[in-house]
Amino acid sequence: MDNSMGDTRKPLDGKAEIGPITARSNEAMGTSRIAIRDLDFFYGANKALKSITLGIPEKQVTGMIGPSGCGKSTLLRVLNRMYDLYSGQRAIGEVLMDGKNIIASDVDVNQLRSRIGMVFQKPTPFPMSIYDNVAFGVKLHERLSKSDMDERVEWSLTRAALWDEVKDRLGASAAGISGGQQQRLCIARTIATRPDVILLDEPTSALDPISTLKIEELIDELKHEFTIVIVTHNMQQAARCADQVAFFFIGELIEVGAAAQMFTSPRQKRTQEYITGRFG
Amino acid sequence: MSASTLPAGAAGPLRDTRVAASLSRRRKQRDVAVKILCVAATVIGLAVLASILYTLIRLGIGGLSLGVFTHMTKPAGENGGLLNPIVGSLIQTGIGAAIGTPIGIMVGTYLSEYARGSALGNAVRFVSDVLLSAPSILIGLFVYQVCVNGYGYSGIAGALSLAVIVIPIVVRTTEDMLRLIPVSLREAAVALGAPKWKATVFICYRAALDGITTGVLLAIARVAGETAPLLFTSLGNDNWSIDLTQPMASLPLAIYKYAGSPSDDWVQLAWVGAMLITFGVLALNIIARVALRPRS
Repeated sequence: MDNSMGDTRKPLDGKAEIGPITARSNEAMGTSRIAIRDLDFFYGANKALKSITLGIPEKQVTGMIGPSGCGKSTLLRVLNRMYDLYSGQRAIGEVLMDGKNIIASDVDVNQLRSRIGMVFQKPTPFPMSIYDNVAFGVKLHERLSKSDMDERVEWSLTRAALWDEVKDRLGASAAGISGGQQQRLCIARTIATRPDVILLDEPTSALDPISTLKIEELIDELKHEFTIVIVTHNMQQAARCADQVAFFFIGELIEVGAAAQMFTSPRQKRTQEYITGRFG
Repeated sequence: MSASTLPAGAAGPLRDTRVAASLSRRRKQRDVAVKILCVAATVIGLAVLASILYTLIRLGIGGLSLGVFTHMTKPAGENGGLLNPIVGSLIQTGIGAAIGTPIGIMVGTYLSEYARGSALGNAVRFVSDVLLSAPSILIGLFVYQVCVNGYGYSGIAGALSLAVIVIPIVVRTTEDMLRLIPVSLREAAVALGAPKWKATVFICYRAALDGITTGVLLAIARVAGETAPLLFTSLGNDNWSIDLTQPMASLPLAIYKYAGSPSDDWVQLAWVGAMLITFGVLALNIIARVALRPRS
C-alpha cells in the first residue's frame, strides 16, 4: 500500500476532527467498496476538503448532500482522479479500493476510471452515433468482435432503460435524442465499461421531472450491480435514492448515516438545519 | 432602490401615461433610424462585391475559351492560354495547404489543450497572431532568404511561402474551435478512461470538425490569390513545368504580369485569370458550406 503522501499531511486542527468522529460511525452500513481516510483536498492553497473519512458501502447508494461549495462534488472528483486534469489541484490522504490507495501517483488513472465511472450534471453525448457513444469507452479497454460489441451495447442500453427507445436508430446522432435520453445514454456509456462504482454528479439537475423520475428508478435498479455515489442538491432525491447519506459543510463531513436516520433524526444541529431548509 | 422613494400604500407609484408614450415613441424612432443605417451599410457592402463580380464577369467572360485551359502562356498576340499558371497554382496551393494544415492544427491543439495560460503558449499565440497579420510580401522575402538565395527560384519555395501564410490562419481557427468545446465533453471522455490524446483526437476534433475545416478552406482561399509571396519564390514560368525545383507559373503572377501589359490579348487573359481564381474560391466556399451543413 502506498501511503507515502500521507506523511505530508498537516496535523488535524480541532475543527477537522468533527469529520472522522462522526464518519466512523457509518461502519454499520456494510462492507466498504471504497474507504476514504483522512482526505484533504486543495485547489492551489485553498483547502476544499478537510480530513474526510468515509466508507462507501458496496452495492448501495451513497448520497452526498450539502450547500454549494461544501466539497461534495470535489470529493466525487477525487474518487476517479478527475482533478488530475488540472494542475494546482491535489489530494492528500488515503482513498482505498481493494487495498490500494487510488490517489497514489503510481495508479494507472485510465484503468481506474474504467472501474469508477462518472456521469455529469449536464448530458454530454459525444458527437457521434448512439451506438458509437456506448462503444467508445468499451473500445478503450477491450477488444471485442462486432457481435460481442453489439451485445455489449444492447446490454448497456437495456440496463440504462434506453434500449426500447433507441434500438431502431442506433446509427442516429446522439445529439438528436432528448436531454433525458441523452443522460441515460451517458449512464449506458458508463456502465458499458462494466465499472465497479458509478459516480453521479447531480445527474438530474438539468432534467425535467419525468426524466428525473426515470433516472431515479434506474439508480434503484443499478445498485443491485454497482456501487453508486450520487451528489445532489435535491433533498427529496437523496431521501428517495440513497441508502447512506453524507452531509458536507464547508469542506467538512458533518455527518453520515443511513438515509432514514439522517432525514428523521440527524445527530448534528447543522444537518438538521440544512435538511429542513434553514440554510443552503 | 430604497423604499422611501415610493409612496406609501399598496398600489405603488402611478404611471404617467404621457411620459411612457413619449419614451415609447422615441424608442421606435431610434429603432427605425438604426435599421435604416444597418440596411444602408449592408447595401453598400454588397454593392461593392456585386460590382467586383460584375466587372470580372463582364471583362473576363469574353476571353473564356477552351484554349485558356489547353494552351500554355505564349508571347503576346500568339493566342496563348493559362494552362501552366492554372496547374502551377493548383500544385503550389495544394502543397502549401498540405504542409501548413497539419502544422497549424497541431499548434492550435497545443495552444488549446496543452498550453492554456502557460508562458510558452502565450508566446506562441502572440507570434502566430503577428504572423497572421504580417504583410505577405515579408513572408515571401523570408522564404527567399531561406530557400531561394543560393538555390534558385522554385515551385517548392512558392508552396512553402504559401504554407507559412496558411499556418497562422489554421492555428487561430483550430484553437478557437477547440476552445468552444465544453470542458464537460473532455471530462466525459476522460472519465471513461480515455487518455488525453484520445479524448482530443476522437472527441474534440470530431466536435470541432466543421469549424476547423472552415478555417482550412478559408486559408486555402486566401493563399490561392496571393501574389506577393510568390514573386521572389516561384517567380513564374512561361513554359510548362511541374518540376518543384524549377520556377513555376501561377495565376496571380500571370495576372500581375499581364494586367499591366500594353497587349490587349494579355490584358484579356489577366481578366480571365482573375475570374477563374475568384470563382474557384467561391466554389470552394460553397462546397464547404454544403458539405458542412449541420446534419440533423
